[in-house]
Amino acid sequence: MAYEPILTSQIDQPGSSTLDFYVQRRRGYEGLRKALTLQPNDLIEQVKASGLRGRGGAGFPTGLKWQFVLKDTPKPKYICCNADESEPGTFKDHVLMERNPHLLIEGCAISCYAIGAKVAYIYIRGEFYHVQQILEAEIEKAYKAGFLGKNILGTGFDCDVFVHRGAGAYEAGEETALIESLEGKRAQPRIKPPFPAVAGLYQCPTAVNNVETLCNVPLIVLNGPEWFSAIGPEKNGGPKLFCISGHVKKPGVYEAPMSTTLRELVYDYAGGMLDDRPFKAIIPGGSSVPLLLPDQLDTPASFDGVQKAGSLLGSAGLIVLNDTVCMVWLAMNLLHFYRHESCGKCTPCREGTNWLSQLLERIESGEGRPKDLDLLFGVSNNIVGKTLCAFGDAAATPVLSTMKLFRAEYEAHVREGRCTLPAEWRAKHPVFAGH
Amino acid sequence: METVTLTIDGRPIAVPKGRTVLQAAIEAGISVPYYCYHPGISIDGSCRVCIVKIDKMPKLQTSCSTVCTDGMVVHTQAPDVVEARAGVFEFLLVNHPLDCPVCDKGGECPLQDFSYTFGPAESRMDFPRRVFDGEGVKADVDFGPTLMLNRNRCILCTRCVRFMKEIDGDAQIGIVDRGHGSEIATFQEQGVHSLLSGNLMDVCPVGAILTRDYRFKSRPWDNPAVVDTVCTFCSKGCNTSAWLKGKPEWAKGSRLIRMTPRYNPDVNGYWMCDIGRFNYHWIEGDQRLRRPMLRNGAALEPSAWHDVQSRLRDRLQAAGTTGTSAVQFLVSAHASVEEFFVLKQLLDGVLGNDGMAATTVTWTSSEKPQPDGAKLKVSKANAPNINGARDLGFHVGAGNEGAPDLSRLRAAVENGQVKAVYVIDPGPDGSLGDVSWLIAARQNGTLPLLVVQGVLMTELAAAADIVLAGAAYVEKDAMYVNDQGRLQAASLAVAPPGEALDDWRILVNLGRSLGLTLPYDSAEDVRRTLAAAMPGTPYAEADRQVFTRPVPARNWLQASNPSERWKWDFLYQDLPPVKGHSVQMEGIPAPIAVIPLKPVG
Repeated sequence: MAYEPILTSQIDQPGSSTLDFYVQRRRGYEGLRKALTLQPNDLIEQVKASGLRGRGGAGFPTGLKWQFVLKDTPKPKYICCNADESEPGTFKDHVLMERNPHLLIEGCAISCYAIGAKVAYIYIRGEFYHVQQILEAEIEKAYKAGFLGKNILGTGFDCDVFVHRGAGAYEAGEETALIESLEGKRAQPRIKPPFPAVAGLYQCPTAVNNVETLCNVPLIVLNGPEWFSAIGPEKNGGPKLFCISGHVKKPGVYEAPMSTTLRELVYDYAGGMLDDRPFKAIIPGGSSVPLLLPDQLDTPASFDGVQKAGSLLGSAGLIVLNDTVCMVWLAMNLLHFYRHESCGKCTPCREGTNWLSQLLERIESGEGRPKDLDLLFGVSNNIVGKTLCAFGDAAATPVLSTMKLFRAEYEAHVREGRCTLPAEWRAKHPVFAGH
Repeated sequence: METVTLTIDGRPIAVPKGRTVLQAAIEAGISVPYYCYHPGISIDGSCRVCIVKIDKMPKLQTSCSTVCTDGMVVHTQAPDVVEARAGVFEFLLVNHPLDCPVCDKGGECPLQDFSYTFGPAESRMDFPRRVFDGEGVKADVDFGPTLMLNRNRCILCTRCVRFMKEIDGDAQIGIVDRGHGSEIATFQEQGVHSLLSGNLMDVCPVGAILTRDYRFKSRPWDNPAVVDTVCTFCSKGCNTSAWLKGKPEWAKGSRLIRMTPRYNPDVNGYWMCDIGRFNYHWIEGDQRLRRPMLRNGAALEPSAWHDVQSRLRDRLQAAGTTGTSAVQFLVSAHASVEEFFVLKQLLDGVLGNDGMAATTVTWTSSEKPQPDGAKLKVSKANAPNINGARDLGFHVGAGNEGAPDLSRLRAAVENGQVKAVYVIDPGPDGSLGDVSWLIAARQNGTLPLLVVQGVLMTELAAAADIVLAGAAYVEKDAMYVNDQGRLQAASLAVAPPGEALDDWRILVNLGRSLGLTLPYDSAEDVRRTLAAAMPGTPYAEADRQVFTRPVPARNWLQASNPSERWKWDFLYQDLPPVKGHSVQMEGIPAPIAVIPLKPVG
């Protein structure tokens, strides 16, 4: 644990969100100053050389994404910052925006300069009321200090940053749905192609980047791509935030290089298992990825490492489960979420999530029939790969993964006609409260 | 035109560049199902039933959103495609009520057709279905003045949403709520208020949006025949299809059952307005004139044509001897090209150079408010043939937007200079405009003779001395010239009722009784003479216009809408023979007279 946090350094200090703190204690806006002396293409090359991969979930190389943004066009270009952090178990962008907002603002300005945009929109999750207030207040200070607005730092570069708060839809985190929502429409995904890099916001070339991704950009510019890629394993460089939740002693956001193993994250960073109960499984990347088992805990928490183990790092939301977790209940809990959040645009997801949710409720409540297990599997497979966006695959994953790894629990539920792993803590937090 | 060649199911297919795989498949007659795709509106990619396998692409692709490229290899019948597609069909029917027996769409429903073809044999769904507004037809709720909505049947293809946004120009329909609770709705349940609302029933691939006019009135197998016609309610001349009921005795004898748009990219695209769609009931209504009538004192009495013709000749001749402008003609621009042409010859023959001066062409205009962005703009002028009248030399002023000038005729009538007015009006009631002055002039005796050749017992006809029963626009083969100057053919769908005659024939009979030689025995004769008389104009093609007869409905889209034509191969192949009525049924094979017996033993 010799690693010194970079993104989240000093976030526990009073006033860490202010401009003065940022400029005086964090070398704030030096990255922007340096970036504006470079050619935009050189900036993109630097980000490519750093190997920065998107922190939103897919891990797509950010430099490449910027390179794809259409150059020869009379249309304006846009940066959309995806701050619609809604994945269950994920709460890293929230911390960054709340405690270190100028890092994001600086990242937005540099990114705009790199792709030739003059406007960045920060699309913030509907529930982040107070974060919006912080961001808007700090953006105003950045304008007054000349880091945003017209003729930034006397270089002739103009850049505006706007915060747009969504209406509380998980689907708005999908990049094209985010764009639709930003345009004032329902947050529903578009068919791709065309990709946002060609026709995004208002049909103009657009790069959609996660908050944490953009926060890394000033650091790369300031310290150089070699510095960045040296943190962590090859092709998985840079500082990374991990959100650890579930049955651990100290849940929270931890910053670590991606060479850190899941075991270190759970037992060292998060203080080990709650009440020292046995570890049962972990969802390593937010609710939408397959589970990993105890024997996979030594997997490095990197994009490639977790993928090699059969799951995905996703948004790095680690949900730790102890032996009291009923896997049927877990799937039901997550499907309740996906059913509620399905946008309803395409058929398999709209109808399938509801059906899966009903089936899981039936099995969990002990009413399940033997054929329900095959049905559950069949319906899940009918969703996977047939939907417009990745939501369908995400929704089917908890079912397919728990059925693959814990089929015996499903069979026991059906056989005994009850939940075979009831837990007291579950009674205190009913799944369907409020909906 | 640049083309690309791709292979679908082993068949090489060349299509113009830019076509999607789905369009290529449809045009090649390869069945790929679809719901959210409609050729007239934008691509959505949401229903997911058009998925196909394309070599070198990792996942199954929606063919509606994949543009054809050279060398692309597409499979629509690969086992994984078949299975995945069946899975999507199962999802589509998870909450669909399957109330096909009481649904008006049943029998011509893409959800039904495609589910039979591509869906699984049975559903594994055993939970109660989602219900929005009640069960069964109780779930039909008001959806504006012309429509009903049944949300339970809706599969959320959003064709209606996109139609309103893109074609109507006023996005009145939206989706409220999310996920499996999504439903089609209008703001505060106000319903759809649009001149184009009827098209929503056409675009709806299920029985969710129905027109009040057609709801519960017929079933597809009850309307086995369709005729290509042209709408005559405004000067736009939308190409339409008139649907005929197979058993008119089940519908108070009426045969016209609905009007639907017929694809013509140059005139109306895939659409028509509600005026033309719903305003057809008068044609077979109670006010329809079925035989000629003569005034006997206070009453009009039905009479035989030969009595009427001799009376007409005598009265007109008597009136005509009093001065050159003593007989005046008032002609609605609903009259067809053939009728104007015969009328012109009649006038030339009887009145010589004064003929045209003795004729006033009339029509009405009305504002039809539509959103600025509407793609189908309805014309102001409420008549189909103003341009035709102008081309044949009648005075109609400039442009279709102008108003007819009846003041000269009115002054002459009210001054008592006119001894007879002959009105020709094959249009609906009101198509002449305000004629109360004419009725008044006849009633107070200022006008000694009023002849009305029309189709309805209007107030004007009721005031006439002689009433001649003519034919409405679906009751004759006739041509009209729309506001683009396009000569279009409207075919006979139903024969004129009773003793009513085609209008050109009435005029020919009148001319002959007045001693003229009008050598026409059929409408084709008229068109042939017209074509010869006007070389170098669009009218030279008059004798080559195509008039269709009622055809089996299954041929309808095959002939008119190439993007949907194959769909109809599935329909109407096992219709029972329809007997005992006057609808021609060419094209439907005769029933097998003898059922072959199986050899016994």
